[in-house]
Amino acid sequence: MSLFARLRGLWRRDQLDADLNEELRSHIAMRANDNVAARMNAQEARYDARRRFGNSTLLQEDTRQMDLIGWLETGLQDFRYAIRVLRKNPGFTAVALLTLAIGIGANTAIFSVVNGVLLRPLPFPKQDQLMMVWERDTDGTRTNTGWPTFVDWNKDNHSFTGIAALSFWTPTFISSHDAENLIGFRASAQFFDVMGVRPEYGRGFLPSEDIRGNNFVVVLSHSLWQRRFGSDPGTVGKPIQLGGRQYTIVGVLPADFPSVFSFDPRKAADIYTPLAYDASLPYACRNCRHLRAVARLRDGVSMSQASTDMSQISENLFHAHPKEYSASGIILTPLKDYLVGDVKPLLWALLGSVGFVLLIACVNVANLLLAWGARRQREVALRAALGAGRTRMIRQFLTESLSLSVLGGALGLLLAKGGLAVVQDLRLGNLPRIENIRLDGWAFAFTLGISLLTGLIFGVAPALRASKVDLNASLKEGGKSTAGKERHRLRDLLVVADVALALVLLTGAGLMMKSFARLLDVKPGFEPSHTLTMGISLWGSKAADAPAVAFFDQVLERVRALPGVEAAAVVSQLPLGGNMDRYGIHVEGKSAPNPEDDPSADRYSISPDYLRAMRIPLLSGREFNETDRVDAPKVVLVNEAFAREFWPAGDAVGKRLRFGDDKGPLRIVVGVAGDVLHNGLDAPHTLQVYLPNTQFTDSDVLLVVRTANDPASIAGAVRHEIAAVDSQAPVTDVFTMDEVVAASVAKQRFGVLLFAVFAAIALVLASVGIYGVISYGVAQRTNEIGIRMALGAEKRDVLAMIVGEGMKPALLGAAVGIAAAFALTRLLATLLYGVKPGDPVTFVTMSAILVGVALLACYVPARRAAKVDPIVALRYE
Amino acid sequence: MAKAKNDVLQGTLALLVLKTLERGPMHGYGVTLRIQQVSNDFLRVEEGSLYPALHRMEQDGWIAAEWGVSENNRRARYYRLTAVGRKQLAEEEKNWAMLTWAVAAVIQLA
Repeated sequence: MSLFARLRGLWRRDQLDADLNEELRSHIAMRANDNVAARMNAQEARYDARRRFGNSTLLQEDTRQMDLIGWLETGLQDFRYAIRVLRKNPGFTAVALLTLAIGIGANTAIFSVVNGVLLRPLPFPKQDQLMMVWERDTDGTRTNTGWPTFVDWNKDNHSFTGIAALSFWTPTFISSHDAENLIGFRASAQFFDVMGVRPEYGRGFLPSEDIRGNNFVVVLSHSLWQRRFGSDPGTVGKPIQLGGRQYTIVGVLPADFPSVFSFDPRKAADIYTPLAYDASLPYACRNCRHLRAVARLRDGVSMSQASTDMSQISENLFHAHPKEYSASGIILTPLKDYLVGDVKPLLWALLGSVGFVLLIACVNVANLLLAWGARRQREVALRAALGAGRTRMIRQFLTESLSLSVLGGALGLLLAKGGLAVVQDLRLGNLPRIENIRLDGWAFAFTLGISLLTGLIFGVAPALRASKVDLNASLKEGGKSTAGKERHRLRDLLVVADVALALVLLTGAGLMMKSFARLLDVKPGFEPSHTLTMGISLWGSKAADAPAVAFFDQVLERVRALPGVEAAAVVSQLPLGGNMDRYGIHVEGKSAPNPEDDPSADRYSISPDYLRAMRIPLLSGREFNETDRVDAPKVVLVNEAFAREFWPAGDAVGKRLRFGDDKGPLRIVVGVAGDVLHNGLDAPHTLQVYLPNTQFTDSDVLLVVRTANDPASIAGAVRHEIAAVDSQAPVTDVFTMDEVVAASVAKQRFGVLLFAVFAAIALVLASVGIYGVISYGVAQRTNEIGIRMALGAEKRDVLAMIVGEGMKPALLGAAVGIAAAFALTRLLATLLYGVKPGDPVTFVTMSAILVGVALLACYVPARRAAKVDPIVALRYE
Repeated sequence: MAKAKNDVLQGTLALLVLKTLERGPMHGYGVTLRIQQVSNDFLRVEEGSLYPALHRMEQDGWIAAEWGVSENNRRARYYRLTAVGRKQLAEEEKNWAMLTWAVAAVIQLA
């Protein structure tokens, strides 16, 4: 029947009903008339006419169901009935709703995270066309590019509408009463065009401003404009003091322009200025790779076409400058992959695992419905006797489960909202794009979708089961629902599913936890406890080398005098702090024919006490001291890995190397320090060099203070000492070193935390499920147990029987679960550190835990069964 | 949708009703009488099946209904065959012929 006809029926529902009634009435009247003519008496005639119709209500219902309105109306009736039934069984309803809310809510929350972080497109026009462009390093990894290369790319390529280059910029914003370190970028003039963003006020950069000397203009982020300029549209054109320079504000970015290039997603860019590259500087060399490039594909150009084009350019450059490129090659990364590629595997794994939680919830609710359906056999029989067809009854039961699941989904939405607020407020996992996570239309659609699906999954089997009823047996007074074999089998199946699903989650969580514990066990090479760090930035004339060193010495002297301070030092970058400051190293006599093939090392410019403050061991030679002045012989410390690589005989001290430029001064190795993990606890060791900050000075440094007591408690005093030297030196990022280490594993912590939470929920749900099945079975079999005991069965026998019957499917479930976990945990391989996906210890431990819990869930009702008093049990027969 | 108690019967019923209406518009009661008479009381149409079937055929556009006045001056709903219904009737008749031929063949030869 056409939907249109049914829809039309909607509008003339009353008319239809009236028509139908009248039509049937006239039919009966005509039949009665003829009957009378056939000489029946009047009453008999009417009776016969009516009887021919059989159940006239059913007939009307059947006929009316031809219309959509009939469908909808019955649906509404069913829904009302469902709500009534559910309200009458508050205990059942509460348990089912809670289970569903947890299952659906967790899924909605994780889906929202996946949607916000991974799925939702970036808010740039044609965002698929945006590509990061990298040089390919000898080891196949992607690296930044240098200025001359960037210029050649732009000149020679046929694939991009433009390539923009970026470099970090951390200017100090000076107001009349304070100073603040900003996070910013120097961006080539075409940057905003490449990104496809128009400033909300003012304009982007002009090509003429991308030239050294004309470059004192800035574009503000929307948030900086709100925070520091009171959202004044007249801000454009105003001056802004940044360090020792005055800039002109030429534009304000729209609010939805995301800061996609920050290393640390917590630190969105505040400000942009033209790159205005000074090609005369020594670091404008081809192998000085410190620019990041972003490009926009031309319309109709595919990524692989662009890749071929760029590879050819790179090949040509390699032939033209063989000494300056180590390998030819280009890597293109879609901007979005670059942004969220790191968290992709974790988030998908989380979505998968949370799906298992929902499946367990389904199993449990199905079990509840099954038990409930059994108790409702009388009701079902009565309705059947009154003429309800089986389809009609299945529909009624499905409406009930769908009502449950949709209500559960609504509650789940609330849970998800709360959960997401926690994730966002605590910035759990330090996820990129975390501000994009919200319960939007997709999340609602997803929730509704899985709610309906859930309702069908857990509702179908119980509905089919409950609607099948033996009228005679059920309606008999005192007739009791007999637990048929089939019903048993279905329940056993639910136990199997519960255990198997929970075991998959438990092993997944177990592996993640073990991996995380292994990660935390890793010694970073320094001692993070009792250490406070904070950033200090100098600007203007104070940022020059000699005044900066003098300033830091002054600060360090004051800080060392504070009570409880054991050591204090400054360093140019912190290990595990997310910085990446690497320089090429050319060891005297061991340099490669092409200096570009020489390795690079993490560079730390330190004040003399740094190794002591961080408790990095000195393995040989000496530390830096006051004699290593700027005019003294140039010295350097190397780490153990470095020494082993170049001087495996252990005679590193006294050897010489060049640093950065292969024509630079030779520096003497005066000592060897222990290895420090720089890029992450799970990252390999890197080559590292330490320079005295007198001989290589940074104006942005980190202060490291080792204390006897709680390091956080001394932060105020330290800041006070810095302010005493210069009240306008901005202090940033005050953290304990423990916090820095913790932040470096925030992603892993987020993953393991959620896995553990899901596994815990799964364990609870599974045990509740098993407990429910067994205790229901016990309740139903009270008579049988009574008879057994009356016939001489011991309590022990009853106990063993019940536990045995529960454990059989549980153990089967564990076996299925182990097999499934074996297959599925392999998907976690990339997320694991120091533990294999099939780790037998984890599998055995988790199976043991689950079987133990299952045993307990069987034992409690079994004990109740064993306490059955045969007299009491039989009396109720 | 209302399910026929017996699908074969339901399908046959549509054929019978369509064929009956081919002679001209008729009300539901008339259709039952007609089928009963023509089949020499062999076929009796259950009212419980007839009205849902009529209603469905109306929704499908095979027949159209309108209110009229019966021979006894009673208001009654008259059904008549539509063009679609005629096509459907031809189809059903062909199917029926095939079916009876096939059944007869099996009975005789199997």
